[in-house]
Amino acid sequence: MMSLAARSGTFSPYMQATAFTVAGPLKALVPGVVVKEEKILLNPKKHFLCRESLNGQSPKTGHAVTVSINGSAGIRFAHTDIRMPDFSDYRRSEVLDANKSSQESSEARRAYSYLVTGASTMVGIYTAKTVVTQFVSSMSASADVLALSKIEIKLSDIPEGKNMTFKWRGKPLFVRHRTEKEIATEAAVNIGELRDPQHDKDRVINPSWVIVLGVCTHLGCVPIANAGDFGGYYCPCHGSHYDASGRIRKGPAPLNLEVPYYEFPDDDTVVVG
Amino acid sequence: KHSPAPKITECAAYMCTGVSKLPNGLVIASLENYSPLSTVGVFVKAGSRYETMENQGVSHVLRLAANLTTKGASALKLCRSVEALGGSLSATSSRESMVYTASCLRDHLDSLMELLVNVTTAQEFRPWEVDDLTSRVKIDKALAQQCPQIGVIEKLHEAAYKNALSNSLYCPDYMVGRISPNQLQSFVEGTFTTGRMALVGVGVKHSVLRQVGEELLSVRSGAGAPVAQSVYRGGELRVQNNDDLVHTLIASEGSVAGSAEANAFTVLQGILGAGPHVKRGSNITSKLSQGIAKATTQPFDATAFNASYSDSGLFGVYTIAQADSAGEVIKAAIGQVRGIAGGNVSAADITRAKNQVKAEYLMSIESSEGLLEEMGAQALTTAAYQPPDTVLQTIDAVTQDDVVKAAKKFVNGKKTVAASGNLVNTPFVDEL
Repeated sequence: MMSLAARSGTFSPYMQATAFTVAGPLKALVPGVVVKEEKILLNPKKHFLCRESLNGQSPKTGHAVTVSINGSAGIRFAHTDIRMPDFSDYRRSEVLDANKSSQESSEARRAYSYLVTGASTMVGIYTAKTVVTQFVSSMSASADVLALSKIEIKLSDIPEGKNMTFKWRGKPLFVRHRTEKEIATEAAVNIGELRDPQHDKDRVINPSWVIVLGVCTHLGCVPIANAGDFGGYYCPCHGSHYDASGRIRKGPAPLNLEVPYYEFPDDDTVVVG
Repeated sequence: KHSPAPKITECAAYMCTGVSKLPNGLVIASLENYSPLSTVGVFVKAGSRYETMENQGVSHVLRLAANLTTKGASALKLCRSVEALGGSLSATSSRESMVYTASCLRDHLDSLMELLVNVTTAQEFRPWEVDDLTSRVKIDKALAQQCPQIGVIEKLHEAAYKNALSNSLYCPDYMVGRISPNQLQSFVEGTFTTGRMALVGVGVKHSVLRQVGEELLSVRSGAGAPVAQSVYRGGELRVQNNDDLVHTLIASEGSVAGSAEANAFTVLQGILGAGPHVKRGSNITSKLSQGIAKATTQPFDATAFNASYSDSGLFGVYTIAQADSAGEVIKAAIGQVRGIAGGNVSAADITRAKNQVKAEYLMSIESSEGLLEEMGAQALTTAAYQPPDTVLQTIDAVTQDDVVKAAKKFVNGKKTVAASGNLVNTPFVDEL
């Protein structure tokens, strides 16, 4: 039965690669081929020039050819045997001709591309900014709240010497039409004697109108108008006396009545807030 | 009548090769060596010798069609599953047989065997897939052309035989792109029958293989298409090109595989020199090398060529020489064989050659690939497996007379010559 083994036999390593296949991905393979269109490019032939390189090159029996899924026939040189599809429908007219240099049109193409990119970027940034501000500003106070935040008062409805109370931002607002006597009195008060020193002209825009928040600065009760020892307000809870300018004169309150922001759009109206 | 139980031949204590033959003719052989890797091969008598004049090259295309879509698995599934299992699937063909080998880890063998059965029995040969194989045929041919040895051996067979064995392993130029799916299908119908197949496994249980053989591989049963007897004629084919190395193969009819004469030719091959045994040695033991070295100082290489087939064989001398010294090299090589035919061979030579042959045989079956090949070849031709001890005994039984007779057969037989290279100095067959 020896002849059966001689049937296959072993070649020199060079022959082995072409005759037998790989049993797996670990063994060395025959050099692969490069398929370029219809031509097959192979490695150039190895020349055997000396006794040593020739040694063992003669075969001693017939050969067998092998093909394998993960052997040499499975080698692909992907960058040469995959066909590139034809993209001429999508190319610019200046670069359709494969044989012409693309340098001449490169500046024009570059300028166009950069311009379009730059303009799109600017528009994009602007759009993004607008969208973001719209979303962020949606978290700020809504219109009904904003509407309630200002109050417009017709001043001709308030006679001299009278104090009117309005509800503003959930708090009582005192609008007092002061008489000349009261104005002069308040202006002449010595600031050094005050617990919270403030001159009257710092607390009013138009001296005949005093507009203060009707919240006692002691513990938050509402003072009574035209009461108290100083001709202003008197808080009944703990006995704080305020004068006609809303400054604390006597009693436990530490600060003057708060003056909100207001303005006179014309002589007859005041807008507080 | 149920099939016989597997014959357990004498081997190592736990490794037994079992061979059994199913009633439909399929031969099953297995060796359970408890290796973590399992290898299974389907051996089919479907080599290039079974091509007819109308379908030359069909075995080449069939070899490349191993990974095409089958009834049970598409080409993608085949490739993907094999790679997912970390296994390998390959198709090898020689002049006599086609071998499909699958190997993977033992636990995944059943999935891989399913794919193997699909590849060997359920081929579909879809026309567009077969068309895609044309470029691979061209690549194969281009690769083979790079190697002069392959060309010379093919030319030798073409010149030596009138039919069957003269068919090339590669598709001829005029048939590239012309093998149709019908031709492939009819070739498979005629050759992939159970009477011409063997299922061999290393690292597999015999019962598993038997089950696969009985259920799945028995799709086509019978003996298949009639086999043509190859007729030796002897001739000459010379390929002139401008290679400065001349490859020449001079052969005459040798021995049939499996005969006692074949063993004598193998020992004769060992005496003459069959490849280097020592790396960077000077081939002291090769009569051819020593004889040719006296005739020329230029680099050369020479081995004795021995091929045995089921109904014929070839024995001769293969030489590689520089273009201007080719004549001297060839004449010196033939002179050496003539010397042996004249009785100029010592007992020491024969013993040395026997030892080399025995050692080479044993080393070739040490790997699982070599063992699978040997088991498959034996199972396919004889439906039995001879353990290495028996083979070694048959080698030892070769006498000096047998060797001299073999050498005389070569010297007196009608010669065939195939040569390629710059043939300015290469003798013709009638000048030898």
